[in-house]
Amino acid sequence: MTEAHNFEANAISCHAWNKDGKEVAFCPSNNDVHVYKRTPGGWKVHEILQKHDLRVMGLDWAPNTNRIVTCSADRNAYVWTQGEDGKWIPAWVLLRTNRAATCVKWSPQENKFAVGTGDRVISVCHFASENNWWVSKHIKRPLRSTVTCLDWHPDNQVLVAGSTDYKVRVFSAYIKDMEEAPERGAWGCQPNLGSLLAEFPNSPNGGGWVHAVAFSPCGNKICWVAHNSSICVADATKGNTVVRLFTEHLPFTSCIWVGSNSIIAGGHSCMPLLYSVDDNGQIYFVSNLDSMQKKETSGISAMRKFQSLDRQARTESSEDNLDSIHQNTITSIRKLSPTEFSTSSLDGQLVLWDLKLLENSIAGLKIV
Amino acid sequence: MSLKPYLTAVRRTLTAAMCVENFSSQIVEKHNKPEVEVRASKELLLTPILISRNDKEKVLIESSINSVRISIAVKQADDLEKILCHKFTRFMTMRAENFLILRRTPIEGYDISFLITNFHIEQMYKHKIVDFVIHFMEEIDRELSEMKLSVNARARTCAEEFLKRF
Amino acid sequence: MILLEVNNRILEETLNNKIRNALSGHRPESTDVIIADFDGVLFHVSNLSGDKSKLRISILLNYYKQLQEHGADELLKREYGSHLTTPETGFNVSVLVDLKDLPEDWENLVKKIGLLKRYCFDSVFEKYFDFQEQGVEEKMAVIHYREEETMCIKATNDRVTVVFSTLFKNVDDMVIGKMFLQELKEGRRASHTAPQVLFNHREPPRELQDSDAAVNSCVGYITFILFPQHTNKESRKNTIDMILMFRDYLHYHIKCSKVYIHSRMRTKTSEFLKILNRARSEPKNVEKKTITGRTFIRKE
Repeated sequence: MTEAHNFEANAISCHAWNKDGKEVAFCPSNNDVHVYKRTPGGWKVHEILQKHDLRVMGLDWAPNTNRIVTCSADRNAYVWTQGEDGKWIPAWVLLRTNRAATCVKWSPQENKFAVGTGDRVISVCHFASENNWWVSKHIKRPLRSTVTCLDWHPDNQVLVAGSTDYKVRVFSAYIKDMEEAPERGAWGCQPNLGSLLAEFPNSPNGGGWVHAVAFSPCGNKICWVAHNSSICVADATKGNTVVRLFTEHLPFTSCIWVGSNSIIAGGHSCMPLLYSVDDNGQIYFVSNLDSMQKKETSGISAMRKFQSLDRQARTESSEDNLDSIHQNTITSIRKLSPTEFSTSSLDGQLVLWDLKLLENSIAGLKIV
Repeated sequence: MSLKPYLTAVRRTLTAAMCVENFSSQIVEKHNKPEVEVRASKELLLTPILISRNDKEKVLIESSINSVRISIAVKQADDLEKILCHKFTRFMTMRAENFLILRRTPIEGYDISFLITNFHIEQMYKHKIVDFVIHFMEEIDRELSEMKLSVNARARTCAEEFLKRF
Repeated sequence: MILLEVNNRILEETLNNKIRNALSGHRPESTDVIIADFDGVLFHVSNLSGDKSKLRISILLNYYKQLQEHGADELLKREYGSHLTTPETGFNVSVLVDLKDLPEDWENLVKKIGLLKRYCFDSVFEKYFDFQEQGVEEKMAVIHYREEETMCIKATNDRVTVVFSTLFKNVDDMVIGKMFLQELKEGRRASHTAPQVLFNHREPPRELQDSDAAVNSCVGYITFILFPQHTNKESRKNTIDMILMFRDYLHYHIKCSKVYIHSRMRTKTSEFLKILNRARSEPKNVEKKTITGRTFIRKE
């Protein structure tokens, strides 16, 4: 049902899978990106990508073209391609920003990627083959704050971004030089990069940094989670109406769609929660996917006991752990396959969740 | 307010306030500083919360996107408790390096301040940091009054022994 | 050790050793020892003009002049008699012990020399105690026994008043000191024979107005009111001992209290650190090397 993996990292800030889910790249909250391969004998480190001067803030793995893009607080991004010997080769991307790059995402067709920055700019980058480099174009207006999260519409032409000015905005990400004029989609049509298609305040009276945004599989709905512990869905087919659910949990930091009406959100509460949107467009809580985990307390060795007495002044052997697999904030949720997803957290764990098995074990759980 | 609801209120508030994340400065490039200290971007700060048990005992919790500052005012009934508290908090701040989350100087009007950043949360379990702060608040009162009692006991014995000899 | 000793133990032990050494027939060694006592008092034990068999014990009190005004010299002559000798340069009083010519009761002599400091002070008390007995009112005596600290003594026909003004180095000492003195004030209830003790701070008591006693905001004033039962011939020796010891006794216990608080804080702080350590995530798979260079992984 779930598999927890530890990679000798203290805290995982973000992670991404390759196409077949046999390799994972993650950042252990420092300047490096670790690439691990799954082998019959467990996870083996394949390579450590060292190029950034400051902490890596975001990474994404394009499944089909097999390229990794990383961005960092050092204001740079690198596109990594695999050489014939399997080594990853970095290509520097000039983002032309003066603040940290905070998040990065490949477009669905993998010919573009977008980088959010602390410079109140989104850099949309594409490869200019005549010059053999990555060209970046900026979306500036009306961003007024650090961009914290991004997602691409399935049509490859529209981008959604959340930021610390408590707003979610939908932009056109069409690049004239390299692609056909977009067809009119649900979010409208603007044949210019950076045209604002929609703007949503996170809450009616302002407030709440936006932590994650995601387009639904069809692209008509946007889900976002923010610091006021809310989960919101905006629907383009219903005149951009926004439905909000204020939850009792600590704020979420990440959200993904699993199916056309189901959302998994996780964050400071350390548990992934399943929410769904009903036919009237209302969001409702379905299930805590981590609820039925029973902690088995392993025996404690004598050495361990003395160690804990000496270092922590603790005599009882029981650990006061949280009732969840993750013991610290979930930092990112990734889809691995249609029925599997993964969560990474600040306690250094990467956990794989199988929705099929969860569906069987939790009464009334149905992913729609 | 009795101690228990007071500590419960602090615990709940702290748990919510400690939801911090890594965040690079919007003002200075390649910098990453606790926003609750820098206070340069208003939008990154949350409304501070003051929890008071009475006019002497209170906790100020200031939160921001990447850091939380907790300032505690400890009960001091008389001069002796005042100096004991001052000595104690100074003693602890001299070991601020080991304490990691201890701020070297308390915020004005408080006896001790903790500064918790996202980097601390990455090294330590959030819920156990909350446990620590609550434990500290429980213990400091008890410790101060016990110290006071023992100094008092010594004073009494000394006085009696001295006067007995005449 | 709750009470302090009035005599100087190191001085006594030094002398005892020297004398025993001489008595058992060993050759005397040359001597040159400097011993410090409370209130900046120094003792010097040396050989008189190079003669190893002659021990000269000298005492330096910065305020000896003030004591002399009250007949210290006469009292010392009475107590030490022929052992008194011309004071060594730089010192106030010197006593000579001839190892070749020891009296029978040399142990008593050594004891007495150990109390040299006390006897220097003795005259002031005796004088005022006598005044009280005779019912003579006399101008107050002020002894600057430490820098910025004074002891004042005054006699009326029914009582002798001793006022210490003592300096607290900082606010902490002052607060702890106040607590001690508060207890002294109240402690009289427990012991009926004890003198009355009063305590003021900042404001000097009436007795000290228009005198040159130390007045300062960090100064505490402790007044002992001694009645005839304390000053009569039988009990006065003990009273003087107690009064002389008082100031150092107070400060000694203030320091002890601070040490105690400090060690308690140290313990508590390290306990707090351990609690905080519980929050730290354990390092994963600690890989260590043995001394031979082999690697081993600690299994939890």
